[in-house]
Amino acid sequence: MDRRDRLASRHSNTVAGLNETARMLRRAMLSAGMPSSEQEAFLDWAVGSLWNTFKQQRMNQRTAIEDEIRGLGLRFPNGTVKKDYSVHFELPVGRISDVEIDGAEELGLLVSVGDDGKCTLSGRPRKAGDFTLTLRYTTVEGEPASELPIPVAFNPDPRDLWKNIPTDPEIPYYKPDSETRYLKVEARDGGARKDIVAASQRGRSHAQEGKARDDHFSLYHCDASDWYIIAVADGAGSARYSRKGSEAACRAAVDHCKALLLDNPAFESAIREYQADRDSREKRTVLTRHVIDIVYNGAMKAHEAVKKVAEANEEAKLKDFATTLMFAVCKKYDFGWFVASFWVGDGAMCLYDERSKTVKLLGTPDEGEFSGQTRFLTMPEIFRDPEAVAKRLRMAIVPDFTALFLMTDGVSDPMFETDRNLNDYAKWEEFYARLRGGFPDDGIEGVDLSDDNEAAKDQLLRWLDFWSPGNHDDRTIAILY
Amino acid sequence: MRRLPVYLLLDCSGSMFGEPIEAVKNGVQVLVSTLRQDPYALETAFLSIITFDSNARQVTPLTELSAFQQPSIQANGCTALGEALALLAQKADQEVTKTTTEKKGDWKPLVFIMTDGEPTDDLNKGLAEFRKCKWGMVVACAAGAGANTDTLKKITECVVSLDTADSATIKAFFKWVSASVSSGSMKVEETGTEANSLSELPPPPPEVNIVV
Repeated sequence: MDRRDRLASRHSNTVAGLNETARMLRRAMLSAGMPSSEQEAFLDWAVGSLWNTFKQQRMNQRTAIEDEIRGLGLRFPNGTVKKDYSVHFELPVGRISDVEIDGAEELGLLVSVGDDGKCTLSGRPRKAGDFTLTLRYTTVEGEPASELPIPVAFNPDPRDLWKNIPTDPEIPYYKPDSETRYLKVEARDGGARKDIVAASQRGRSHAQEGKARDDHFSLYHCDASDWYIIAVADGAGSARYSRKGSEAACRAAVDHCKALLLDNPAFESAIREYQADRDSREKRTVLTRHVIDIVYNGAMKAHEAVKKVAEANEEAKLKDFATTLMFAVCKKYDFGWFVASFWVGDGAMCLYDERSKTVKLLGTPDEGEFSGQTRFLTMPEIFRDPEAVAKRLRMAIVPDFTALFLMTDGVSDPMFETDRNLNDYAKWEEFYARLRGGFPDDGIEGVDLSDDNEAAKDQLLRWLDFWSPGNHDDRTIAILY
Repeated sequence: MRRLPVYLLLDCSGSMFGEPIEAVKNGVQVLVSTLRQDPYALETAFLSIITFDSNARQVTPLTELSAFQQPSIQANGCTALGEALALLAQKADQEVTKTTTEKKGDWKPLVFIMTDGEPTDDLNKGLAEFRKCKWGMVVACAAGAGANTDTLKKITECVVSLDTADSATIKAFFKWVSASVSSGSMKVEETGTEANSLSELPPPPPEVNIVV
């Protein structure tokens, strides 16, 4: 049999089959009492209505499954852009098929659907924003695919949102956005001598708006007399020219102390005599008088210097230059270290000693019940009340110390949170460990505080960039070690 | 970290059904996605939503912005504003961290209340609870002609009104709320103090009238 014969034979078989079916149908209709004139109309009706019932049933089935899927309350937690994201959920795979999630791939996410219905959506979101993913699946063969929109949100990385707008160099009293200094004091007579390292970094909140750094520091070491002088100031955020106030205050305080410490045998012998007889009230009074001359008057000079700058500016007032100030003068003797200091405002100034496991806070931060309400050097009342002045002055003799820290609240707030913690040795130990160990999770290295390490100044500046949500003030720290 | 808690009290009574409630839902969505773009707000602002109809319920507990998910909000029933104030006081008492000697607590909460009608329950009872807590800025918004600004003045000095409760006006209100949260979270960071009066918030858009 050739091909044509085969086709012809199949055709005649089909025709015979159809004829047989039609005969059976006609017989059935006849026996039901249906006149032959109605038979065609009946067939149209029967097929049409059954088809509709069939479709209706299929659709009901689809709707029921869709309700079931919606009833799962599928929600995806929010993610963060470029951070690992992974969410697990379960779908009734016995009831649905051809599951896919539309839009996942564009967002950088992969979907996997297991045979057991366990699903995973994972990856690193490519962009931040609010998106809608569509879960698509088939319920019943022949029905169109069902869809369920599922919203998902990816947060931007807060670090990407901070801008770093350079300060306009044309503004009055411009100062660079950061500053560092390493004051290397070479060994003498075979003994290593302490160095000072300091760094000051504009806060992110200022960088965000291209505003200047308000903090300042000044360092000095007198080779002839071996006195160290360190000053740190935090210009008030609300005062428009505080960047100049902090600078003038630091400079004036250091200049004043420098002049009085260069060659002051009376002061030196007052220190020695007091050390030799610490119980003597009289010797203490003599020494205190010197400290007032040097340190307290240094603070007065700083106040006056800021006032002078303010007076020179016709369109500004003293409060536009509001600043805090802390400074210390110290010198090593054969019996130990003599330290005298003045502190007005917040931040922290402290002698930290690992060997004796002690911290000595050189004053009390001026912080009331409410944060941000500190005292400023520019407030005249600071100098009016002698008792209050006495509280701001400190004098100490210690055998030795690991480090003398002076820092603005941009550092002390995130590191210590409260004033009480500033008196807790354990917190300072933690702080010192962080300073030297850095913040590995944030890719910030520690500061190598070994003698004569001039690289410490750049390490310290980078360290100041540590991440602490909600703490983006200017940060300044000076360390004598 | 010191958080800036933000509480939204939203009227979901029957009169809000339809366009107003859809606008409110949309407003919350826009508020959150806008604030997520602001580095200050994203780090410090935490958001809670309390809705009130015949009862008050906290549909979103105080949540950081990055984890916030749109709650389901429907409109029906009466206006239990008194109960909402009492619930707000109770939740804030539980959720807002207080300052201790070891730890600085959260900033004082910012509260935004929006209602389109007179309270149908005992407002004074709720007010008594509400006044026991310390609040930062509390702004009450009378949406449309049905709300009584005199009633709202009992809750706070800062009352604003919307002439109509249509979607464009409600949207403008939420945009202003978003700008206020932004500037509030920046203010705490910059000056260490919370905003205390309307003049410290961004100027409201023309759709939002300040009630003197």
